Amino acid sequence: MHSTVTAIIDDLSQVIFGKKTQIKLALTCLFSQGHLLIEDLPGMGKTTLSHALASVLGLSYQRVQFTSDLLPSDILGASIFNSNEHTFTFHKGPVFSQVVLADEINRAGPKTQSALLEAMEEKQVSMDGDIYPLPTPFFVIATQNPLYQSGTYPLPESQLDRFMMRISLGFPPKKAERKLILGANNRDSDALPKRINFSQLIDIQSETKKVTISEPIVDYIIELVSYTRESGVFANPLSPRASIAMGKAAQAWAYIEGRDFVTPDDVQTVFKSVAAHRLGIDEQTSELQIKQLLNAVPVPL
Amino acid sequence: MPNVHNEKAINLTLSIVYGLVVLFIMSELTLIFTALLALLCAWNFTITLMKKPKPSTLYANILAALSLVLLLHDVGFGDTVTLFVAMLILSSLFKLLQAKTKKHYQTIVLLSFFSLSTVYLFSQSIIATLCVSILYVLNFAALALIENKHSLKIASKQSGKMLLLALPIAVFLLLFLPKMPAFWQLPGPKLAKTGLSESVNPFDIAKLSRSDELVFRAKLSINKPPAPPYYWRAIIHDEFDGTTWLVSDLLKSQQRNKTSVKDAPQFESQYNIIAEPSSKPWLYGIGQAYSTNSDVKSTEQGLLIRKRYLSNNINYEVKTSSFNDSLLNKINRYQNLTLGNSELNNVQSQQLALSLYKNSNNDSEFLTALTEHFSNQGFAYTLTPEPMTGGNTIDEFMFNNKRGFCGHYASAAAFMFRTVGIPARVVSGYLGGELNEQDEYLSVYQYDAHAWVEVFIKGKGWQIFDATAVVSPERLTGSLSQMQSLNNEFTNNLEFSLLRFNQIPGFNWLRLNLENLDYKWTNWVLGFDQQKQSSFLKRLFGNSQLWKISLFVILTIIIIFISYFVYLNWPKKAMLNEHLLATHYKEIQFWCAKNGFNQKANLTPLQYLNLAREHFTEKGSLFMQFAQLYSDVRYKGEEFTPQRKNHSYDLVKSIKTKAKRSL
Repeated sequence: MHSTVTAIIDDLSQVIFGKKTQIKLALTCLFSQGHLLIEDLPGMGKTTLSHALASVLGLSYQRVQFTSDLLPSDILGASIFNSNEHTFTFHKGPVFSQVVLADEINRAGPKTQSALLEAMEEKQVSMDGDIYPLPTPFFVIATQNPLYQSGTYPLPESQLDRFMMRISLGFPPKKAERKLILGANNRDSDALPKRINFSQLIDIQSETKKVTISEPIVDYIIELVSYTRESGVFANPLSPRASIAMGKAAQAWAYIEGRDFVTPDDVQTVFKSVAAHRLGIDEQTSELQIKQLLNAVPVPL
Repeated sequence: MPNVHNEKAINLTLSIVYGLVVLFIMSELTLIFTALLALLCAWNFTITLMKKPKPSTLYANILAALSLVLLLHDVGFGDTVTLFVAMLILSSLFKLLQAKTKKHYQTIVLLSFFSLSTVYLFSQSIIATLCVSILYVLNFAALALIENKHSLKIASKQSGKMLLLALPIAVFLLLFLPKMPAFWQLPGPKLAKTGLSESVNPFDIAKLSRSDELVFRAKLSINKPPAPPYYWRAIIHDEFDGTTWLVSDLLKSQQRNKTSVKDAPQFESQYNIIAEPSSKPWLYGIGQAYSTNSDVKSTEQGLLIRKRYLSNNINYEVKTSSFNDSLLNKINRYQNLTLGNSELNNVQSQQLALSLYKNSNNDSEFLTALTEHFSNQGFAYTLTPEPMTGGNTIDEFMFNNKRGFCGHYASAAAFMFRTVGIPARVVSGYLGGELNEQDEYLSVYQYDAHAWVEVFIKGKGWQIFDATAVVSPERLTGSLSQMQSLNNEFTNNLEFSLLRFNQIPGFNWLRLNLENLDYKWTNWVLGFDQQKQSSFLKRLFGNSQLWKISLFVILTIIIIFISYFVYLNWPKKAMLNEHLLATHYKEIQFWCAKNGFNQKANLTPLQYLNLAREHFTEKGSLFMQFAQLYSDVRYKGEEFTPQRKNHSYDLVKSIKTKAKRSL
């Protein structure tokens, strides 16, 4: 099964050049059944990555471009009067798909944002007293522009918390950019081979959960989390939900790395992606702050 | 400065500490020099507060050189102790003005531990001790601030806690560590600004009444001397040169040569005295005093002399007997009126004495006649007499002025006794004292200094004749400070002191209580000398050898310290069930650090081992094996079998031993 994972990573590297770590982090998030937030400047390949992810994993895919006039019903769907049958029928919105790409999520107003985020948490949509379950697996890959850009509505902390990880792609290395200019990439991510089917994905997810997470690792996560609570450096300390996410992400990362046990290094690798947005640290400054934090907390032996 | 965290706080703290030290030793230095030191403190304080740059090295050095000249000129080489103390404080302050790096501050803080301790050279009172202790706390806090980012408040709290922890050890050492005789001692402290002197020129000793310094305390509880007045004898002046009463060379040599009194005579009373440090060896006792203390010499005349350690407090037991009559043959010296031409002076007084003598039948009657003369002729007691000069000071006092204090009366009376051939001597010492009724002790201050006359009456022996008593009888009981009639004059005369506020009831109560506290401090702590300690140790350990006790004490201290450090380094509870591999990992880390592989960053074990593998290439495989073992057991959750355990031991061992071979 691990060879499949390697193949997926290779495929995705065909689309996004020189960003292997980010690809692996994105997969980590999906394998541990979390929603992913990609924050970056426009034109960095956020949408490409998410689209490619859906194709490679063989999942149904819907993209919603968030704008300031987007309404909740545009995402969730609406009950429309059927004049033939004299009844209201529910027309499912784009959220009813396995992978939802919420592009530029912070361009929509809070009402619309929370409609999506509610669906993310409950994995169902309730409309006019009826409950419509969302498909499984259900991933939301949201992209957002840095908050300093104009026309953005920042996601509230409570909703940021629902994203398991936040990653940022960053500028490509020069070599990769050269390839991009020469048109070497296959931008048509639909052309990517479908590597796994639905049941295989479920297998991977269950195997991820079996990765051994030993006592010292649990200690380490607890130490890290309690440091954010006790040091007084952070305004929004990490919640227990963050601790759970950290454990799951570390397991998934270890799985992707081909191991069946978690090491502290795994925790360190996923820490920034899991913690930074919950701590309310900007993507721009997070590198240094997270480094300091990791330096301040000794690794349990 | 980037490398000193709390520079502002440290500078302010040290400025305050030094300011207070200067305040404490102010009385030992001249005004100009004190002002200089205070100015340096204030300077540093201000530039720190106003965030101004420190003076340049050249500028500060020139100033330091100038100050040194002032120091040498002002303090001089006469008093080396004060000189060195002043130099220490001066140099520390200049260093503080220039300090920039961590190292500088460390030096200054360490120096200031010495500077603080110098306060004890000049004062050991409980107030000084408490204040210096607080300064120690601040100094320790400053030391902590150099290394830490703490606030001053936290640092002071911590260092206060540390000093409190050290207190039991200090008490233990004080009680049990046998006191060795000092290998060296400081020259006597410069206390001569007040105190008795060997020559009494009655016309210039009024100074003494200006000082409220404690001289000694007498504990009367054992076997009280008869009722007051208590005449505490210190010095006998047997030689008169026309104006001044001196201690004759003969008397000095007698006192120097041998302890004339070998066995305790029949004594009437017995009491303890704790004397403060003094620049002169004279000690105090009532009547014919005798002491068994080995540091105290008892003389034929019933005086007590301190043999050594003038700069320490001394606690001695005194036995008083009535004056020894067997020395009749030696009294003619006290009849010797004058040396040189003084017979030509004070003629009026001589005539008065002779006429009074003519009218009396015997010596006793003359004594009464003289007493009456003093009481009837309008003499008055004052602490601020008009200055009298010239060769006939006694005449001037007896006939013109008639205002004076003890010195005048004693001098005049002794002169007149000698004129008619009655042996007489001027004795200086202290009169009375302030009684603490609760603990039954007397505190005697410098302002209680007194001079009186002892006359030898045939058949009765030496008698006290105190003309002051006639003129001002209330002076005889209690202390000068308690005299109502002289109160204004007394307090105005006194230099600044708490006594000034005596009239405010609360203040007097406070003063007396502080006094009592200081008495207890002196009695129990400062007075805990070699003798007291050895009797205490004997009671506790029986007649063990001194070295055995010392060994016991030192061993106990060592054990206390070792257990404290073991406690400090004892693994915390979580680490108590530390995994063996974690222990081994730490051993490897320790070994790596010892061999020049230092990693500041907080690495995970696997990262660390990987880097170590690259660093110690020749045993890379060992590190790799250990990393494998570590991750298998700690992270993969595999069982830590005995084989793995042995493997781990082997790996650690070979990592360590291989290095030895390579060295």
